[in-house]
Amino acid sequence: MSKVLIHATGLKKSYLLTKTNTVHALQGVSIDVEEGDFSAIIGPSGCGKSTLLHILGLLDTPDEGQYSLDGIDVMKMKASESNAVRAKKLGFIFQGFNLIPTLTAKENVMQAGKYGGMSLKQRKARAEELLTLMGLQDRMDHKPNELSGGQQQRVAIARALMNKPAIILADEPTGELDSATSLEIIELLKKLNRENNQTFLMVTHNMEVANACKKTIQLKDGRNDE
Amino acid sequence: MMEIFRNMLRRKGRTILTITGIAVGIFAFTVMGSMALRFNKMISGGKSYVTGQITLMPKGTEFTTGTGGALLPMDVLSKIAKVEGVQAVGASVEIAVREIDPNDPLGGASFGPGATVEGMDLNSDYKNRNWQTLSMKSGRMLEKGDPDNVVVVGYTVAADSKLSVNDTFTIRGRDFKVIGIVDQTLTGPDQYVFMPLKPAREMVIAANPFLKSLKDRADEAAKIPAADLANLPAATRDQILQAKAFKLDDVTQMAAVSWQDGQDPDVVSNRIKEQFKDQVLVLSPTKLGETIDKASAVFNAIILGSAVIALVVGGFSIINTMIMSISERKREIGIKKAIGASNRSIAWDYTLEAGIIGIVGGIIGLGIGIVAILIINSKTAASGAEIFLLNTVFMVGVVAFSFILGIIAGFLPALRASRMNVVDAIREL
Repeated sequence: MSKVLIHATGLKKSYLLTKTNTVHALQGVSIDVEEGDFSAIIGPSGCGKSTLLHILGLLDTPDEGQYSLDGIDVMKMKASESNAVRAKKLGFIFQGFNLIPTLTAKENVMQAGKYGGMSLKQRKARAEELLTLMGLQDRMDHKPNELSGGQQQRVAIARALMNKPAIILADEPTGELDSATSLEIIELLKKLNRENNQTFLMVTHNMEVANACKKTIQLKDGRNDE
Repeated sequence: MMEIFRNMLRRKGRTILTITGIAVGIFAFTVMGSMALRFNKMISGGKSYVTGQITLMPKGTEFTTGTGGALLPMDVLSKIAKVEGVQAVGASVEIAVREIDPNDPLGGASFGPGATVEGMDLNSDYKNRNWQTLSMKSGRMLEKGDPDNVVVVGYTVAADSKLSVNDTFTIRGRDFKVIGIVDQTLTGPDQYVFMPLKPAREMVIAANPFLKSLKDRADEAAKIPAADLANLPAATRDQILQAKAFKLDDVTQMAAVSWQDGQDPDVVSNRIKEQFKDQVLVLSPTKLGETIDKASAVFNAIILGSAVIALVVGGFSIINTMIMSISERKREIGIKKAIGASNRSIAWDYTLEAGIIGIVGGIIGLGIGIVAILIINSKTAASGAEIFLLNTVFMVGVVAFSFILGIIAGFLPALRASRMNVVDAIREL
């Protein structure tokens, strides 16, 4: 039986938009992700996908519920501890690539290593290794605006892999890519999952991406839609 | 670190304006501070001198301006020398080296006191407690037994008049042989011409029409043989005797008293004051030291004032830049936090960026300040004292100050950045 990386039950989260208007983004969502999973959270807009991803990514805290990440009860952690856990256990891929524009591809990747506690030498070696793996060995010293959308997303994937995270969380990873490049990126993620047993949990409303996943978690109105 | 420099170059115009703001503040700080340092150096040299002696001035003279023109009669000084605790009394006179041009009475005015003749009483055993000797650049100091036609010149006087030992220096129409040049002190003696008391007194008399008329009358009276004097009517004889009473030795503008070992100078000052309060003003070392400290405090306030201006001008421009910059980079802060940056690491990056803006502005402001100071000093050195004093500790301090200013100004915006809600920042993605 595979190791459970994410075990979350009864997650609730509300936002107070105005004094009288509260949005109940999550109303008791439960989710389990095992090592080696290639899963997608799917559902219509406003169903709470991104909120769930933020909570699972330790970027936000639930109002209620239980959550353990790789055996750590994250509900009891302080903010400073969750930064460290996030750096070491989690990788993020965003819809808009979100690379830092003043840094080169290599420096963007290296930055994650800095927060993960790697030495400069280790960071350089690991970033070069990952960018080569992504087929970007000739583009390492280019700034993001000198790269295509697909290349930028590959840099973002390399950055997510930098600290050998237990799980990579991806928010609409193909959202800003054309269909050919989307397929290319999904194939790359699948390859990483297959060959390195890298666990992925992604949020998507793209059914092609969802279909490529081994497992899907359907949300509706802030609840699991079984 | 490279990222910080690249971030600074993202908005070149804004960064340049901010750096300019700091550079202007630091320029003002450098210039005002160097001026205050120069004054403080002069003041501390002066303080060391006046606290090493009990200063006597004739009653009727105002100490700070030297106005009043009264004199100290020799017989009073001789009596003071016998007061308990007094070791010796040294009489002195002062007169500007440069004669005032009647057609341009202000032409001789310059920054600082200008070159001054200091008539020294070579026969007195008086020695200032704090200034026993002055170190010499070349030659030697005046000694007991030196002839009346020799002088020792201060560093600035020698430089301005291009004098070397054995050169002839003409002062108020009289030629003197230079026997020594004093090393630079950065205070009073740099502008002094030390000469024996007699020629200095003669210059003071020659420059003062009233004293000159007294001396002329005394010289005329001295020509009348004693036998002829006896035959003159009593009233005329009295007038001539009064005229003869004027002596060169009575022309003393100021005197310094040294005290015997183990004596308290304030107690000795009080003794002199008690006995001679009708003839002399006695300034004790403690009292003069306190007066000088007050003057020094004013210049320290100038340093502090210019530092505050630099702080306000530079600080606000850094705060403004950092707030703008952070609000523009909200996205990036979100990304960094998402990939594991701690609050401390975000705060440190932005604080360091502000510190670097501060130090760059500081170095530029300091550089411009140094150039301005060197130019002004080279010009004023020819006509009097140098206005500014640059020292390494101060310059290093200015650079450190500009860095700390940046750090302080950047800290609050950086703290705000570090506490940014990552979900809010992410939502902007």
